[in-house]
Amino acid sequence: MMKKAVELVLLLLLLFFTPHIMGKRYSPPGKPTLTRCRSPEKETFTCWWEPGSDGGLPTTHALYYRKESSERVYECPDYHTAGENSCFFNKNDTSIWVNYNITVVATNTLGSAFSDPVDVDVVYIVKPNPPEKQTVTIMEDKGWPFLRVSWEPPQKADTRSGWITLIYELRVKLEEENEWEMHLAGHQKTFNIFSLRSGGKYLVEVRCKPDHGFWSEWSSTSYIKVPDYFHREKSVWILLTIFSAFIFLILTWLLHMNSRSLKNCILPPVPGPKIKGFDNQLLKNGKSDEIFSALMVSNFPPTTSSNYEDLLVEYLEVYVPVEQELMQEESKDLHGGCLKCERSTSDSDSGRGSCDSHTLLMDKCGETKEEGRHTDRASSRMLTEAQRHQKGWEKDTLTYAHGDMVSPDMSNGRVKTWPSVFSPLPQYSSNPLDKQSSLEMAKQHCLSTSSCLTQPGHSTKEALGPSNWDFCLGNKQPHLLHPQTQVGRQLQAHSEVNISNIGRKQAPAGLQSPALRSTEYVEVQRVNEEDLVLLQPVVSGCGRIEGYPQMPKGKDYSKVKGVDSDNMLLLQREVMEEDWCPGVDQEINGGTGNCYTSSTVNTTQKPTACIHTAMPVQGDMALAMNGYVDTATMCTLPTC
Amino acid sequence: QKLCRKTVEFMHRQLIMLYMVAACRAVAINDLLDRASERSDILHSLSTTLSHDLDSQFPPIGRVIMPRPSMCHTASLQTPIDKYQALQVSESDLLSLARSLLQAWEDPLAVLSTSANTLPHPAQSSISNKIQELQEHSKNLGDGLDILSGKMGPAAQTIASLPYRGGNDIGEDRISKLINFNFLLSCFRRDSHKIDSFLKILRCRAAKMQPEMC
Repeated sequence: MMKKAVELVLLLLLLFFTPHIMGKRYSPPGKPTLTRCRSPEKETFTCWWEPGSDGGLPTTHALYYRKESSERVYECPDYHTAGENSCFFNKNDTSIWVNYNITVVATNTLGSAFSDPVDVDVVYIVKPNPPEKQTVTIMEDKGWPFLRVSWEPPQKADTRSGWITLIYELRVKLEEENEWEMHLAGHQKTFNIFSLRSGGKYLVEVRCKPDHGFWSEWSSTSYIKVPDYFHREKSVWILLTIFSAFIFLILTWLLHMNSRSLKNCILPPVPGPKIKGFDNQLLKNGKSDEIFSALMVSNFPPTTSSNYEDLLVEYLEVYVPVEQELMQEESKDLHGGCLKCERSTSDSDSGRGSCDSHTLLMDKCGETKEEGRHTDRASSRMLTEAQRHQKGWEKDTLTYAHGDMVSPDMSNGRVKTWPSVFSPLPQYSSNPLDKQSSLEMAKQHCLSTSSCLTQPGHSTKEALGPSNWDFCLGNKQPHLLHPQTQVGRQLQAHSEVNISNIGRKQAPAGLQSPALRSTEYVEVQRVNEEDLVLLQPVVSGCGRIEGYPQMPKGKDYSKVKGVDSDNMLLLQREVMEEDWCPGVDQEINGGTGNCYTSSTVNTTQKPTACIHTAMPVQGDMALAMNGYVDTATMCTLPTC
Repeated sequence: QKLCRKTVEFMHRQLIMLYMVAACRAVAINDLLDRASERSDILHSLSTTLSHDLDSQFPPIGRVIMPRPSMCHTASLQTPIDKYQALQVSESDLLSLARSLLQAWEDPLAVLSTSANTLPHPAQSSISNKIQELQEHSKNLGDGLDILSGKMGPAAQTIASLPYRGGNDIGEDRISKLINFNFLLSCFRRDSHKIDSFLKILRCRAAKMQPEMC
């Protein structure tokens, strides 16, 4: 109380006197503020304040405090220990669990200023000193180094009696880094740091905190350098090898997975023949019906074309001893033609009569003879035709075939000549073996487009369809023909038989049979504007036993020179190219002619006869003779 | 002489027994004290957080007219005011003090809990939850200290009676409610700190064989 009264008097005096003395503009001091109070060990504490403006005059500050349970005001016992603008409370003046009401007063001559009072309880303002005696050492654990950090609690903090309980925290970083790595150590006073960089320099700092207080400042930094060690390098190499092995495994696996596609890329597979609609499985099963039905295209033959080709009916089987070409033609009128032919069977026209002498009759029911250039289309066409006619003619053909085969007497029924032109002489005098082989060859030719069916087995042949057989069997002996044409014969078979018969008959003419010669087929190409039937011979492979189809070496086009009064086509053969087969005699060529079968374009009822011309050829094959269909003529030449 | 020897033997045996009992007790007490210290630590931390939550929205006028801490209902209990005094208190007395303080807050905490439901404060729900936690921890600690006191002798059993006379209502208007709530909470914060300090001193004293505990 006394102190306070004295202070007040002093203040008043100052207030009165100062303005008179100075004469300047001075003011009372500004209000100070208590910034903070801290206790490092819960036994003493210090308070700091911030003075306000001094008002231009020397200002003094005083700190006054009051404890909670009494009204007594105390002044700060120690202004110096803790520095400027501070008040240090020593142990004697410090009480815990007691509220201190602290005020700072700034005083100058003009006045004083009181700070705002602050309530302080010492136990709540504890901030210890940083830990001391910090040591960092390098230790080894199975060859791997680690840092061991140890420290002591701050000296002033009494942790041993349990007065203060501290928890610690440390932080580590490499010298060149910016980020610290924090570790909470709890109550313990040692800590291990692992995962060190070889040869790195580390900085370590520690701090502590009482259980209900503030964190201390960081301790002074400890530096430590980690020595180099080889394990790190070793581990790197090990990792590298493992990694590369792993990648290698992955690559191998990928390669294995994509081996097929790689193989295709590097070694592309050889494409096999692919026929649209053809199924290998069906082939293996041996059911040719299904196969060929699959091959058949519904809208085939094309109905849209409207050229003359469609009007032409048949396949002309032309046997050319020199060229050995086959021509083939297929027309849609086949059907109609065939029907007509059929009808004509009962006709007792002269055409029939000529047939009695084994003349070849023109037959509209031609079927494609495929040799050499056999195509799928041809075979399918042929098949369709064959199947179309099959029913109607089976019986007929059969009988005819038989009849023909048995005897050369052609009086019974017409012979539906398959438009195959034979060279009668050489072929028919050939030995059976040749004929057999030629038969084979022919068959093979026929079958070239149907994959792999070159078996001479009866069943397969029959399975293929009668039509196939028919033209293939062009130059067969009757007895050879017999077993094959038993089922579903086409009329063409008859014609061929006829041809063969005719050929045989010609044999006594003295012509030597050459080596194997197969039938040549002439295909009626088209009829051009001049009413010329252009025939295209199809090569049947001359002299080759293996039976591979030959590409036509040359083409003979037979032009229809005209149609005579009897509605017979007069054909004119033109030889484009020579292809002399080995073993073919000049004589033969000369002796042989081409048997042309002509088809009447105008849907004649008359069967057409195969004209067998045996004009001597004088070296060059440019035959100028006109092959025309005339049964009488035919008859006269070979047999009649 | 036989009697002498027998007496000596008996004494010897007693000493051994005492020693063993003491040793046994010491181990158990250590763990119990450790657990009690942990719980008292949590208790005080919670109360501190709660005080801070409340202070953030406290009207400035409340500080002026807030009752002084000497008006806490537990102020009558004589507790050490500095370290020197605290370290001189016996273990039993320390425990007794802790238990008395804890016991004194059983009712006021209930009052606080009920009034927290209608506290006009923005963080009312959070405060209410924390008050409930305080009650829970306080009860657990009380049970643990009861067990401890059973092991520490009869002197530890005495509990000072510190009745709470504030009643169930902490205030009529909003300001007084807040002020009273804050006041009660500050009293509890201090008392929880006292309990925590005493128990930690006890823990250190009991852990002579385990100096790392302190």
